[in-house]
Amino acid sequence: MSDTENASLSPEARELHDGLDRVWGNPRGLRALTVVNHTTVGLRFIITGAVFFLIGGLLAMLIRTQLAFPDQEFMSHETYNQVFTMHGTVMMFLFAIPILEGLAIYMIPKMIGARDLVCPRLTAFGYWCYLFGGIILTSSLLLEMAPASGWFMYTPLSSGEYSPGRGSDFWLLGITFVEISALSAGVELVVSILRTRTQGMALHKMPLFAWYILAMALMIVVGFPPLILGSILLELERATGMPFFDVSGGGDPVLWAHLFWLFGHPEVYIIFLPGAGIVSTLIPVFAGRPIVGYGWVVAAVIIMGFVSFGLWVHHMFTLGIPQLALAFFSAASMLVAIPTAIQIFVWLSTLWLGRPVMKLPMLWIVGFLVIFVLGGLTGVMLALVPFNWQVHDTHFVVAHMHYVLVGGMLFPLMAALYYWLPQVSGRMPSERLGRWSFWLIFLGFNTTFLVMHWTGLLGMRRRVFTYDADMGWGLYNLISSVGGFMMAAGIALLLLDIALHFRFGKKASQNPWNADGLEWAMPKPPTAYNFVSLPAIETRHPLWEDPELPRTIEEGRHGLANIDHGRRETWGTDPLTGKLRETIHLSGNSWLPLLAALALAVVCISLLVRIYPLAAVATVVSIVILLHWSWVNGAHPKMAPDATVAPGEPPLHSRTMNGPGVWTMSVSHLANGSLFLSLLFGWFYLWTVAPEWQMPATSPLSMPMLVAAGGALTLGTLWLVKLVRRLRQHDDTGLSGGLYFAAALGALQSVLLGVVIWQADLAPTETAHDATLLVALLYVLIHALLGGLLCLLQGLRVGYGYVSAEVPYEPVVVLRLWNYNVVVYWILFVAIWGIPTLLGGG
Amino acid sequence: MLRWVLGGGVLLPVVSIVALLLLGAPTGRGMLPLPLPGGEEVELIEVVGHQWWWEVRYPGDEDQNDVVTANHLVMPAGEPVDFRLISADVIHAFWIPRLGGKRDMVPGRHSTIRLEADAPGVFGAQCAEFCGAQHTNMLLQVEAVERDEFDAWLAERRTPPEQVEDHDQAREAFGEHCASCHRVEGLPDEFAVGGREYDMEGPDLSDIGSRPTLGAGVLPMEEGAIAYWLQHHQTLKPGNRMPPHDHIDIETLENIGAWLETLEP
Amino acid sequence: MMKHLLKLTHPIHLVGGVTLWGIWFVAIYGGLSVACSVAPPAAEQDTLTGINVVIGILTLVVAGLLLWLAWASVGAARKTSLRRECYFAFTSAGVYLFSAMGTLFVGIPVIFLPPCL
Repeated sequence: MSDTENASLSPEARELHDGLDRVWGNPRGLRALTVVNHTTVGLRFIITGAVFFLIGGLLAMLIRTQLAFPDQEFMSHETYNQVFTMHGTVMMFLFAIPILEGLAIYMIPKMIGARDLVCPRLTAFGYWCYLFGGIILTSSLLLEMAPASGWFMYTPLSSGEYSPGRGSDFWLLGITFVEISALSAGVELVVSILRTRTQGMALHKMPLFAWYILAMALMIVVGFPPLILGSILLELERATGMPFFDVSGGGDPVLWAHLFWLFGHPEVYIIFLPGAGIVSTLIPVFAGRPIVGYGWVVAAVIIMGFVSFGLWVHHMFTLGIPQLALAFFSAASMLVAIPTAIQIFVWLSTLWLGRPVMKLPMLWIVGFLVIFVLGGLTGVMLALVPFNWQVHDTHFVVAHMHYVLVGGMLFPLMAALYYWLPQVSGRMPSERLGRWSFWLIFLGFNTTFLVMHWTGLLGMRRRVFTYDADMGWGLYNLISSVGGFMMAAGIALLLLDIALHFRFGKKASQNPWNADGLEWAMPKPPTAYNFVSLPAIETRHPLWEDPELPRTIEEGRHGLANIDHGRRETWGTDPLTGKLRETIHLSGNSWLPLLAALALAVVCISLLVRIYPLAAVATVVSIVILLHWSWVNGAHPKMAPDATVAPGEPPLHSRTMNGPGVWTMSVSHLANGSLFLSLLFGWFYLWTVAPEWQMPATSPLSMPMLVAAGGALTLGTLWLVKLVRRLRQHDDTGLSGGLYFAAALGALQSVLLGVVIWQADLAPTETAHDATLLVALLYVLIHALLGGLLCLLQGLRVGYGYVSAEVPYEPVVVLRLWNYNVVVYWILFVAIWGIPTLLGGG
Repeated sequence: MLRWVLGGGVLLPVVSIVALLLLGAPTGRGMLPLPLPGGEEVELIEVVGHQWWWEVRYPGDEDQNDVVTANHLVMPAGEPVDFRLISADVIHAFWIPRLGGKRDMVPGRHSTIRLEADAPGVFGAQCAEFCGAQHTNMLLQVEAVERDEFDAWLAERRTPPEQVEDHDQAREAFGEHCASCHRVEGLPDEFAVGGREYDMEGPDLSDIGSRPTLGAGVLPMEEGAIAYWLQHHQTLKPGNRMPPHDHIDIETLENIGAWLETLEP
Repeated sequence: MMKHLLKLTHPIHLVGGVTLWGIWFVAIYGGLSVACSVAPPAAEQDTLTGINVVIGILTLVVAGLLLWLAWASVGAARKTSLRRECYFAFTSAGVYLFSAMGTLFVGIPVIFLPPCL
């Protein structure tokens, strides 16, 4: 907080600040590893992402050096294949997505007037998973064992037979590890945006950026699980020989392509949407007027979010899929042009009707508009199947992709960097150095990639480590390489600019760009608790309508201006209207996220080096840590040292029945359900399409046992429903006994499922049929165990007084899991026993 | 302002994509292997992708053997040709840029793409889907020739080769070192020491002397090229599936090379 | 409790149109793939196959339903007095309209292309 403003505060207000600092402040030294605060963790995400960007950029420079001249021998083909694979992987998985998540984690609470995200420990856990996964993945480069099958890892090339080294394992395990972080950020951003907006901020009044991030987070939640499933299956195939993608065992390599692109296409939009969100936030500020057509933008974002899931096959146009099916995807790909064009014209008309000021962030936005429109146009060209067949897998596609991704993501990100830098550091960056670096990057980028379209049209394939001088591509490649190095110089200058500004930048005023967003109503540099008091916001442009807001917030004249209870608090509001519903109390700093991520890192590494006993031990350790984490929750004294609420304030969320935890559980099940649907898709896909798939004449699974297991699960769920209904009526007699009974039913279901698996006598390494069955059964078994275990813990918590009629919160959350289990179990039963039995084998 | 968003954001893209789709879908139709309106037979050529070379097969019928060659594709010009694409290992993609689009070769399935060379000529072809270490050097030379020339070319290869009595030494060495992976039409059984059980498939060498390149486009076929390739193939195309020949003396390799160069129909 | 979700002024309808579109899209793509692997029609039949006809009819039905929903949302927006509800209903109407047009557009190729080649 800046000293000048603090000086004018009344003694009461200063006391409030000090109290908040005590409860929210970050510890120093080693204990800094326990920090869970979204501002700090968000910055860590961004800085780590930037480091990976530099690594990915270095790899790009190596590629451009190799290709600068024909017949170069700068790198061997082995090194080159590793380098281009890792360039794509690092840029996509370790830079683009995490840095945008970091931006969202950092900005969202500040923009919607909250003090933190809903699950602060999850934020930190996500960061550690990202960091460790990223380190594991990039270490493969130093060990010269990096994956070398291209960033989409098409099997059989990436399979054990054709990539016998450890490279593919590094990719599959490392990426899955990193994706835990994407999913946790996705889940918590959704719930935070829906449930923790400040009082009065109704859904249609929230900042556009929040709409974009909401869409992005939901897309992460639904879009990442197919790849996670694919990675698990491919790693199982490599480690144990289960033939999911091996034709001779009844698998199909095209299943991998489907699972990968089911994730891979939405991923492009996951990267683009936050970029567009930045543009929609900055343009009104620099045009000095509200955006034209807020509703148009919201509709466009929703349409993009959905339609982008209908495009995945357009990466597979040459795989020999029937042309009519391709035409559907081709048409759907063209449809995306409409929401994109709507946004572009909304931005243009906002600029047209306003008075644009060409400050540095605006320069980057203009750069974005130019580059992204070009990338979008080549995108429409690529959606056309016959044209696609010609340029697919050439440098034309490489150029298109970089126009879309660099244009759609990097340029807005740079705009965001310059725009929000004063918010982070309290200082203004230099306009002059910034302009130099912009022009170097902009011109360098276009020099590299505009020419590359032409190289591709001349027939140069992507991923070749050299080319013959006779082909006549030398000059174009040389130009591209020169442009690439120009861009690198621009990046270096930009880093210099940022570094210098911390020392030499002018002090920023409270609202240096005259922006409308709440994030500019905070102290600079930001405090850990964001807002001293939480204002009621009834408008889309709080700071334009009430420029005095920063001062009144600072003076503690709004909500939650009390810290005597020692809790970390923020508002819980109605997702639709923004009416106050509860006071959410959040976790403080904790070692648990780091420990859990460390245990998972050990799991990951021991799977990588194939020491399975160690992996098993580390898995148990991480489960114990996670369960302990769930124990320190709700009414646990560490979470709510003092459970009294000031009169007139809404109840603590742990004393209600529809708090954010219930929402978190539901959104997590969206992800879980997406994983399950991907598995179901895999089952039916292999069944109908895989050339050598063999369906046994009768199902190997015991029907009575399956039904009995399902019966135990169903009974347990109904039982929990009854318990929760009684809790709703404030009746907790026999609660612990009831919970133990449900736990016993969960255990019974697990045992019965174990018997089913044992009796079936599957040969998972022989046929894809048995392998898929085994994975499906293990999936429900794990859920059965989890359901039972959580009920057991709940029963114990009743004894500690953490769960009761006063604190009825957690059984509702656990019930959600059981509900999910029941639905999934019976669907699976129909899919793996019912339909095969009905249709007969063969 | 609404006019801008409606006109630019909705009308402009709608008109463009409708026009594109109405143009694109019929264009794609032309590339489908549909029966020809006149009911003529379409020439079918089978191409198999291997790491990192091309097997080209001209299917025969009851009376005729398949003609098999490698890294060299001869097709009739002026008429549509169906290419039936298969992979022996990983995913490859078959692409003759001058003749049209590319199509992936996926293990376990086959797909057909129809292409036509309007006039005779020589075209480059290449693997377009990244397929591992030597993806770069997976090239194929395509020759489109007049119909009767094509028929003659095929007929030449369908007639059994004359038995050559010289080069016995080379054939014996070939039988010992090479025949477990490579086939040569008419090689007498007594030379094939390792038997005819192929450990792994290497290119069929029956007409290698008539091919334009060696190693799927790595070297031009000249006198002595094969012997040179046999000695240095792991430096010329590192990682290729043929084991190094350090254990075989140079003279033997030169003999084998000299004999192989004579193999043309 | 679920009843208020059915009212066209509820924001859940913001995603209603694209959800229906998505289900339709998966249905025609999945149905086409299954039909082609179970009972592929002869190449001579060209586009005059049962598969094309069924997909065509399904497309028209879904597009019709979406159009009706778009129209009904406009009606709901006109009727309500709450600004918030009016806003959501109009935006939903736009998304329903887009989805209806998108359905028709994506369905066009059944006129030109045989199903399984």
